[in-house]
Amino acid sequence: MDIDDILAEVTADAVPQETCDLQELTRAWVTERVAPEILPYPDALMERVLERIRKQIELVEDQTGNMDPKTNFKLIVIQTELERFKFLVRSFLRARIAKLDKHPLHIFESHTNDPTLLSPSEHQYLTQHQALLSQHYHSSFLSQFPDALQRLDDTTGGMSMIDKPDEDTAVFCRVLREVGVVSVEGTDRVFEMKRGDVWVVRWSAIRQRVLLGDIELI
Amino acid sequence: MALPLPPGLTPPEIAFLCEMELVTVISRQRLEGLELLGGPLPPLSPPQRTPLPLWLAFLLKRQRRANILPPPWLSPHSLTAILDHETKHDDAFSPPPRFYPLPSNNTLPFSPPFLSSSTADAAPDALPYHWLELGEMLLEAAADDFEEPDNVRKLLRGLREARMAKLRKGVEVLDAGGGVRMNGVGGMEVGEGRAFVGGVIDGLRKIAASREQQKKDRDREERENGYPGTADDYDENEMDMQ
Repeated sequence: MDIDDILAEVTADAVPQETCDLQELTRAWVTERVAPEILPYPDALMERVLERIRKQIELVEDQTGNMDPKTNFKLIVIQTELERFKFLVRSFLRARIAKLDKHPLHIFESHTNDPTLLSPSEHQYLTQHQALLSQHYHSSFLSQFPDALQRLDDTTGGMSMIDKPDEDTAVFCRVLREVGVVSVEGTDRVFEMKRGDVWVVRWSAIRQRVLLGDIELI
Repeated sequence: MALPLPPGLTPPEIAFLCEMELVTVISRQRLEGLELLGGPLPPLSPPQRTPLPLWLAFLLKRQRRANILPPPWLSPHSLTAILDHETKHDDAFSPPPRFYPLPSNNTLPFSPPFLSSSTADAAPDALPYHWLELGEMLLEAAADDFEEPDNVRKLLRGLREARMAKLRKGVEVLDAGGGVRMNGVGGMEVGEGRAFVGGVIDGLRKIAASREQQKKDRDREERENGYPGTADDYDENEMDMQ
């Protein structure tokens, strides 16, 4: 253990939970904006962040009447930060909704296999939106088709109607913990990813590592 | 309601990330500590130096409540040395700052913009991840805190051009499998290169898709038969070379 390790330990312990949550939320936002597919909803993190935002809004509401210039400036700082947090949360959720809209049936299937993928409200949005859409399609044109051609999720005949995100999309990523050798399926590509490295790789090759937090997308 | 943007961060989003970078601030007046959402803010008292996120530093700067101390790598001397390195080694970017050591208790590893790579104690000889954005923003909002702002601006432009040329040249090594190492690349450079680099890799992959599928099937078969396919693979590679 050298001086760096000792320093790292001290700083890591001294970092307050709020700052860790900000780092985590920022990372979740970047990942969701960059990754081709939707990722599991960070339930506990979002709960903590939303609760803090709610309290901070209450504080602002309480103190808005205060005309003391000192408190006034404090409020400006608090509100500026609040807006930044709100932007992060909103952009994160909207990026997820964009994915829900793009691949509804595929995500519905994945969520059935892994119920931590979506939050309850996202699941509700997905089911209701999809129900409305298919109802609309049926009443406007699908009902006039032959029975065999009316489905929206037909997978027979070797062709699936369910659109999937392209899991082999190339992504930029940064290695946070040693991961060792990574190979790309279907090619002869094998390479070693070291901590601190930045790589352009297929999403499918590092997906598991990103979920474990060993690699982050940038 | 859904975000209408394509995957990948847009320049304003990258700037937003960059505004979380910590910079060193010298307060001009006393300010009480605050409980912020991203952690507590220490009380400020002149002439103490405090690391603060960039957005807050700008807010204080705009109200003339503080001065910003530019990071050591953002000085003409350091930038000249880095630019020199960039032009001499045209096969890679100049090395990034040393990645901080991993916390031993295996908690969440920190990464930019949450490393102190732009405070007054940062390494003077390496460009951090958000170098371009941070440099430009500091020059715009706090030019009077620099000793030679015009010189710094000129050097930043030189660096940007030298590095963009590398990014463009790097396209020659791209292939369908991906797996390109880009250590030292900056945030804005990733944003600019993403569509092109990603597009080339994805396009090449689609062209080679059927061959890849064949290899996947063969690999799977070999795994199932327990047959070591290395000799075969080797032969095939040699064929490809000819």
